[in-house]
Order: sequence, then structure tokens, then C-alpha cells
Amino acid sequence: MIWKLMKKELKEFLKTGKIYVLLFSLLFFGISSPIIAKFTPEIIENLVKNQEMQGLIIQLPPPTWKDSFIQFFKNLNQIVFLIIVLLFIGCISEEKNKNTASIFIALGIDRKKWIFSKFLFQIIITYFFLLISFIACAYYTYFLFSTFPIQNSISAMFLYFIYIFFILSLIIFSSSLGNNFIQSAGIFLGIFIIFNLLSIFPNMNPYNPMSLSSLQNEWILKGVIWKDALKNIIFTLIYSFILLILGVVSFEKQEL
Amino acid sequence: MNIIETFNLCKYYKNKKALDNLNLEVPEGIIFGYLGPNGAGKTTTIRLLLNLAKPTNGYAIIMGENILKSKKYLSKIGFLPDVPNFYNYFTAKEYLAILAEILGVDKKRVDEVLELVDLKNEKKRIGTFSRGMKQRLGIAQTLLHDPKLLILDEPTSALDPQGRKEILDLIKSLKGSKTIFFSTHILSDVEKICDRVAIIKDGKLLLNEKVEELKKRYAKRMITIEVDNQDILWEKLKDKPWVINIAVHNKSLLLNIKDISMAQKEIPKIISENNLSLIHFEFLEPTIEDIFFEVIS
Ligand SMILES: Nc1ncnc2c1ncn2[C@@H]1O[C@H](COP(=O)(O)OP(=O)(O)OP(=O)(O)O)[C@@H](O)[C@H]1O
Ligand SMILES: [Mg+2]
Repeated sequence: MIWKLMKKELKEFLKTGKIYVLLFSLLFFGISSPIIAKFTPEIIENLVKNQEMQGLIIQLPPPTWKDSFIQFFKNLNQIVFLIIVLLFIGCISEEKNKNTASIFIALGIDRKKWIFSKFLFQIIITYFFLLISFIACAYYTYFLFSTFPIQNSISAMFLYFIYIFFILSLIIFSSSLGNNFIQSAGIFLGIFIIFNLLSIFPNMNPYNPMSLSSLQNEWILKGVIWKDALKNIIFTLIYSFILLILGVVSFEKQEL
Repeated sequence: MNIIETFNLCKYYKNKKALDNLNLEVPEGIIFGYLGPNGAGKTTTIRLLLNLAKPTNGYAIIMGENILKSKKYLSKIGFLPDVPNFYNYFTAKEYLAILAEILGVDKKRVDEVLELVDLKNEKKRIGTFSRGMKQRLGIAQTLLHDPKLLILDEPTSALDPQGRKEILDLIKSLKGSKTIFFSTHILSDVEKICDRVAIIKDGKLLLNEKVEELKKRYAKRMITIEVDNQDILWEKLKDKPWVINIAVHNKSLLLNIKDISMAQKEIPKIISENNLSLIHFEFLEPTIEDIFFEVIS
């Protein structure tokens, strides 16, 4: 049943064109990040020359593969993050709002499976496209800089996968609680802001999913230290499962 | 055998008893009209029966299963919501194909049910459908898995007279093989196709009876009389204790009678005592509408 419901999600995703938004934006950032990293210094130098400010001496360090991946993760944590939230935040709440879920639930489809199929679909499709994006970024980085350390980039990407697992769980939770797109986006934003505020306290960092993104940068710039991330990964997964369970429990109690 | 039976079913909202101790029995194989004015609790009842909302109290047995304990019965029900909505980006056929796959129904069935509601050659996206078309698609969807019981929430409310007739005919044609429970506030629909009717108001069941028995029971309560001088007759009748009220209609008097046997004895007496000549005398068949207004008032 979960499989069939996931197929339904996929068909909807195709039909609404959302799949192209996700695929092309991820592909775009995978390819553009290395290119931007490579050519930004040159562009700036040219600008300076054209402006006839020869007196000004700008010393830009030559870009490396690190700049390429820093740029890539910056895009993933900002625009791609936003795209993922916008694409999925209405997944349950809008089905309640538009009254499309009730037909399925009234046919005896288990509410747990209903939600779980959505989460599983989102995880699979997002991970799959992220992987493509990552491969594109790695390829162009290698192409432009002739090197890229596999270990750093894959490990940092792994942290992003964990982070996205948390974000998608939070999306399911918010979407389950809210009764429409706006409400669930509000719930999502509220919780997201709370976690961000918690990063003011440095001693909370090991327990805060938000520090996963700063760790990504550190791992790219300095090197991979798994010990630093262990607590973070475990706690992020724990929060994710709690959010998922709460989302399901809440949906089971709701009137449609 | 009863296909639906509810036992003190209650649904209370914060300061509203949407449903209050409902004890409803729906026999198998009939067309059952669930009648009530706006806000009576029809949709609430249906949502409780379909596991879309939980009763505050009480329970129901549907096809032998307690709805609080089992969910298996749901797959044997076809449900049309009051405002049917579907995924707007799909065509009717695509949508039903998805549903068929989830329900494990043969894809051939999709064309069959679309044919029944006259949407077979509709290639437009559901988002562009009119309300009536959505209603018809909704009915097609209820039939997809060939359920034993159809629960339809106001199936004709969005339709024009032509569409309404078609849907009523369709419902009628399903009788026997399926039990059809439909809610409505359109009295003529009930009169046309229902075997049995329940009337609900303010969350309370006011009656649940076979339509013909109901009519019999309420029959012979309305009399129309025409005499040569209706003013005299009106004067004589107006204070009789067995008369509820009198209305003048064209040249006849329309009487609403409390005690029919008294009326049958007394009226001829009055006519002969006052030397009137009788032109017309008739017991009127009540319509569901008459009964409805009498029951809910
Ligand atoms: N979720 C809810 N919260 C609070 N009150 C509700 C809720 N749902 C229904 N009600 C109230 O319960 C009562 C019954 O509503 P219901 O929708 O069952 O009526 P109905 O018979 O279907 O009416 P209609 O003919 O308008 O569809 C109404 O007074 C309504 O306001
Ligand atoms: Mg209603």
C-alpha cells in the first residue's frame, strides 16, 4: 500500500511540474557553484580594470576546490532549502484544506501509511536529486580545478543529508498540524527560528541540528572529524523521529 | 438485516451538540433518504460513520463491524463528500486510474464508471470542471470498487434539474445490488426514489420510517371540501375542536384535521343541517414536504 501511495505522490509531483523545479534547481546549483567559484575572482579583476582604478591593487587568492564546495553548500542551505520547504510544506495541510485526503481516508487507507508514504517519497526524491546535484558539482569541480578530495566533500554531503532528513521531518510535522499552506509554513518557521536562536548558546551546539551546516563548511575547509559531528547526527535523528511520530499521532486524531 | 445501525451516537463540539444520541437503523438493499435542514447534523453523521471524525459517545455497527474497533468495512463503502474535490491537475480518467491502483481495482473499471456518469470522453483537467461535473466524477469514484454501500452527502445539490434527474435515475438503478444512504434537503428527491426516510433536526432523529407507511400515517389528515356557500361552512367549522386549521383555496376549503373519525361524522351533519350542497370532498395525499414541515416544526 505504501508503495502504491508513493506512486500517487510521484504522479502528482510530475503532473504539477514540481519535479522539474526541484531537479533543475539542484542541477543548476550543482553546475553553477564550481563555475562561479572559479570565475568570480577573474570577473572582479576585470571589473576593477575596466573601471580604470589601476591604482587599486586587489589581491585575491586563487580559487580552489574548497571555494567551489563552500559555494555549493551555501546554495544548498539557502535557496535549495527554501525550494524544498515550499514544495513540500503543503503536502498534508493542503490535502486537508482542499478536502482531497478525506476520500482516501474514508476508503479505509491507513492514516499512518498515508503520511509515511509522503515522507518516504520526499526523502527518496530529494536524496536522489541531491545526489545528481552533488555529482554534477564534483564533476565540474574536478574539471575546473583538476582536484577534489572525495572524503571531505562526501562527508560534508552526508551531513547535509542528515540535515535534510530533519527538515523533511519538520515539514511533515508542520504540514500535519497546519490546516493549510500558510499555517503549516508558520509552524515550520516558528520551530526553525527556535532552533536557530538556540545556536546563540555555544554549549548547545552539539544538540542543535542547525550546527550541521557550519560543520559542513568546517569539514570542507579543515578536514573531517567525525567525533565532532557524532552527537549532532544522533540528536538530529532523534528530533526527526520525534517530529515524525508527533506528526502521525496528531494526524490520527484529526477530523477531516 | 441492518447494514448500518448506530447506538446513542453523539458528537459534541465546544458549545454545540451536532449529533445527540442518534439511534439509526438502515436496512440492507434500500435507498435511504437522510433528510434535514441546514445544520441538522447530516454531514456530521456521515463523517462519524466514515472514520473522518470520532464520536464523543456511542458507536455504530456497519456491515457487522463496530466502527470504533475495525476499519475493514470502509473498503466496502463508496463515499461522496458534500463538496467533492480532487487533484486538479489530473483528468478524470487519470485520477480514477490512480485510485483504482490504490484500491486494487482493474483499470477497465475506470472507463465503465466514467461511462455511467457521462464523463468518458472528457479530456479536461479536473481543475476546470464545473461543480456538477465534479459531483458526477465523485459518483463515478464511489462506484469504482463496486462497494456494497454508498454513502452520498447531498449528491444532487450542485446539479441542474436535468443532471439531478440523471443522478437520481442512476441511484435508482443501483438499488438492490447496493444499499444507498444519501443525505439531502431536497424533498422531492426523497419522494422520487427513497424507500425509507429519516428526518433529523438539531442533531436529533425525529423519525425513521418507510416512505409509504409515513404517507399512510399522515394521509387523511388533509381534506378539501367544496360546497355552494363556503362562508357558512367556514363559520361552522372554525371552532370545532377536531379542526386544526382551515384555509380557503379557490372555491374550496382546505382543512387540517386532528381527529379524522370525528370529521367524517361531523362534516356531513353540518352540511345537511345548514342546507348546503356538497360539490367536492377529498382526502389529500400528503407530500413529503408537508410531512417534513410538520415533523420539524
Ligand atoms: N468542526 C466543527 N466544529 C464546530 N461545529 C461544527 C463542526 N462541524 C459541524 N459543526 C456544527 O454541527 C452542526 C451540524 O453540522 P452538519 O455539517 O452536520 O450539518 P448538515 O446537516 O450537514 O447541514 P447542511 O445541510 O448545511 O450540509 C452545525 O451546527 C455545525 O455548525
Ligand atoms: Mg452537510
